[in-house]
Amino acid sequence: MILHIVRRELLAHLTSLRFALTTFILFALMATNAIVHLRTHPERVRKYSENIIASHTALESRTQLYLLLQKGPGTLYKRPSSLAFVAHGGEAFLPGTIENGGSWSLTGFSLSALKSVWWMGEPRLNRGESNPLRSTFTEIDWVFIITYLLSLLPFLFTYDSIAGEQEQGTLRLCLANPISRHTLFIGKFFATLLAVLIPFYCAMLCNLAIVSTNNWTQFDGTDWIYLAIIGLIASCYAALFIAVGLLVSATTQERQWSCVLLLFIWVTVVVFMPSTLGTLATKWMPPLQTHHQFQRAKQGAIEQLTSDFTHKIAAAKERQLKAGNAWSKLQKLAKMSPEDARQLATSLHESEKVDDSQLRLMAARVNEDVKIREHLNRQRFEAQRTQIQHMRAITRFSPAALVQYTIESMAGTGYNHHLQFLSNVDLYIRDFRHFIDEMDRSDPESLHIIGIPKGMSKKPISPRLIPKFEDKITFRETFNTAIVDMLCLVLLLILFLFTGFWVFLRADV
Amino acid sequence: MSKRFFVAVVMTVLLVVANTSVLITAYKEGLDDYSQRVSVNRKEVTEVPTYSLLALKVLRPPTPLSIFSAGLETRFGSEIDIGFDSVPTLSSSQKPLGLKNPYLKLFSQIDLVSVFQVVLSLLALIFAYDAIAGDWEAGTLRLVISHPVQRGTILFAKYIAAMLCLLLPVLLSLLMSLMLCDLSSSLRMESADFLRVGCIFLTTITYLSVFYLSGLLISTITRRASTSLIFSVFLWVFWVLIYPNWVSVTLKSVGDQRVERISVDRHIAQISEAADREEQRYLANSPLQGKPPRFRDIFGVVSWQHGDFPRIQGELKNPASPLVVHLLRFYEFSVTLRIQSAEKIGLIRQQLEAQTYLRQAQTEGRLLKISPASLYTQVTSAWASTDLGAMHDYVRSAQAYRHALIDAFEDQNAFGSLQWFATNQGPLDMSFLPHFVFKRSDIRESAQRALPGIFFLLLANLVLFTATILIFIKIEV
Repeated sequence: MILHIVRRELLAHLTSLRFALTTFILFALMATNAIVHLRTHPERVRKYSENIIASHTALESRTQLYLLLQKGPGTLYKRPSSLAFVAHGGEAFLPGTIENGGSWSLTGFSLSALKSVWWMGEPRLNRGESNPLRSTFTEIDWVFIITYLLSLLPFLFTYDSIAGEQEQGTLRLCLANPISRHTLFIGKFFATLLAVLIPFYCAMLCNLAIVSTNNWTQFDGTDWIYLAIIGLIASCYAALFIAVGLLVSATTQERQWSCVLLLFIWVTVVVFMPSTLGTLATKWMPPLQTHHQFQRAKQGAIEQLTSDFTHKIAAAKERQLKAGNAWSKLQKLAKMSPEDARQLATSLHESEKVDDSQLRLMAARVNEDVKIREHLNRQRFEAQRTQIQHMRAITRFSPAALVQYTIESMAGTGYNHHLQFLSNVDLYIRDFRHFIDEMDRSDPESLHIIGIPKGMSKKPISPRLIPKFEDKITFRETFNTAIVDMLCLVLLLILFLFTGFWVFLRADV
Repeated sequence: MSKRFFVAVVMTVLLVVANTSVLITAYKEGLDDYSQRVSVNRKEVTEVPTYSLLALKVLRPPTPLSIFSAGLETRFGSEIDIGFDSVPTLSSSQKPLGLKNPYLKLFSQIDLVSVFQVVLSLLALIFAYDAIAGDWEAGTLRLVISHPVQRGTILFAKYIAAMLCLLLPVLLSLLMSLMLCDLSSSLRMESADFLRVGCIFLTTITYLSVFYLSGLLISTITRRASTSLIFSVFLWVFWVLIYPNWVSVTLKSVGDQRVERISVDRHIAQISEAADREEQRYLANSPLQGKPPRFRDIFGVVSWQHGDFPRIQGELKNPASPLVVHLLRFYEFSVTLRIQSAEKIGLIRQQLEAQTYLRQAQTEGRLLKISPASLYTQVTSAWASTDLGAMHDYVRSAQAYRHALIDAFEDQNAFGSLQWFATNQGPLDMSFLPHFVFKRSDIRESAQRALPGIFFLLLANLVLFTATILIFIKIEV
């Protein structure tokens, strides 16, 4: 019986005007997405691989340990995801690189200037490709198609499926037959689901076919698994909205009213909630520093460091001078031979140590600087991150945002990928610094004062040993949040399905 | 007073209130940041040791009406460096105000106009879809027509009634947001701003009327409420949601400007090389020894900033030396030379921008005019003076300020003075510097920018209305 109902309803849907329009829009959007991707993606991949090769060769040319420390790993690049067409997730403006934070040099207290070494710069928003004069827009990717259309289309298919039949009186006729209400409900549910998903899956396959004609996009096994999961999530999402549509249609008993209500629900939940809820949430969060304030605070900390350093180095110089004076005075007083005097001086072990302590001070200045800057940058980023996480948590009330985040983490793009990139960079930098320490320690001639050329090993290093950075996109780290999001979606689906079911069972026909 | 109307009004007002409060906070933050940065810049100017080291910055204050229509307000930078050696162009404006968390870009900000654009246009279509078709199906249309009333009058009456209904949520939410603006102390609006809000209101009505009339046309053609509804909703999805994004996405990668960029860079390099040569020629004929800016004979301690333009801070060994006069002349010559070449470079840059950024933005703007929804956004941002034209005005006023600065320096004879490079005469007098005030374009200019769009909207109204009347008169009931 259920099959019969499904077949009947499905046929009715397939021959309707809305089905034709739906198919047309879905195909047009998916084709646009694929074509735009084909046009932009090869360029993106080419740029990335060029950049990677250039930075690796630059890294291998730095065979001096100090040079390696000073120039650091250069610029670190974020890998473009091969599934970028599924979800752009703000990749266009999210920072695509981590660069050297800048450089400084201090002069006027030693023979050569004290120079800064590499530190991790603040991730800067990508402004390269964007034109500041153009209006803002949303990328047409799968996320756009799924979140907007796979929620609106179910509503358009379901708004009259119960209320309409009730108005026409066919529902009473239908129920007069030996059909239980739940069979009818489930039949309608699955028929609508099929009617929505058939054009969507066709368009999706068409999109994939166009995308995979290109040599630059090679999907491996895991990519296909992700694509399948994304398809599944899309079906869940569509099913959720069908359940809501049926629920509203069963409650209102009037076609027009149900349509209006559904459209307004759609506008609120899908169009406005994902952004409005997020920005509303910022009102109750502790305010962050502005960029300007942050820069000034950083500048203040560095100035403090420099003035401390100048005092210390002046004191050290004075000590050295005093020691020198004491030494000559001693020589005069004791009328010793110079050799004896020197012996005495070494027994006081002053002058050499003073020299060494100055070097140490300078190295400490360099390293402290890096530490402070990176610490402040990280602190600021953490504050920003908590804000964004809160906002994302609150927008999860909207299933559209829920689906968007899940798909983004599947596709390896968006904010989650950005966080992953940053943690990859952190790990790499730790490795890199550890490597420099190790290399220096293995050289017995070195003074082991990391941070200045005099204090470090001068042995050339083999280029092969230098650790190199390559960004990896792994799903494992974002797996937990994605799973929770998916569970939320399924839970919502079950909730609305049962409510709809219950309402329909008790509705007066 | 139907249920759908009530729901729509409540929803609009709620959305408007929520978004306005967020936007007012954002505006306040922008204003705080603005005043802070302005005061810091002022302080920095007073601490400059020599005239050549002067690094002026100008800032664009946040626009109060950006709450209504954000336009390019947050996208376009607000800080421009004013230097003798560079002419500000559209792309030199950077660092938007109140940037606390750049990742907030992940969430799009919604202004009042976009609430109207989305919700009320949907409401207009919902009013319209069964206006004719519903009556037709119910059979009441025949009854109505049997009265001695002309068909056109019936249609017109329906139109007026629906527009009056649509007026209410627009008025209500505009008044609510104006009230919220009034309550917050930081946002101060002038009388001209109220006039602009009034214009935004009228534009909104015209925009909604386009949607209502298209719904009416569909309703008249299809004669069935459910078909008309489906058509209307798809039309809405296409105009509001798909078309604007579709145009922008497909336009995105049009034109790789690398070739133009390379040729422009070469051109710029040629200009600065020519200036270098000229400087060398001057030095060859002058008794000055050594390389600029480090004339070891004259300066004791000297520091300079790298670059073509002479930015020096030095202590003269002997201010009475005859060489100093030559040095003064040399710097005067060099500065005027660099200013001239900067103007040339600025022209080239502006041309490049006109060919790339500006042309792209203009093409996009033209294509977007097809959808009434994006046309509406364009017109309202012109009224709120947050559109491209207003940003252009800002850059132009920065350029004018640079000229005023150069004139002031010339009047003071600062380029040829000792204070240009030497700290020997103690702290500088900066009182002659002109003040930068960015005056927004007055409402007449905004109107000029908005009028073509409004004209299109009115035209669409007229065409739709006549088409509907013609079809309605002809149909058999």
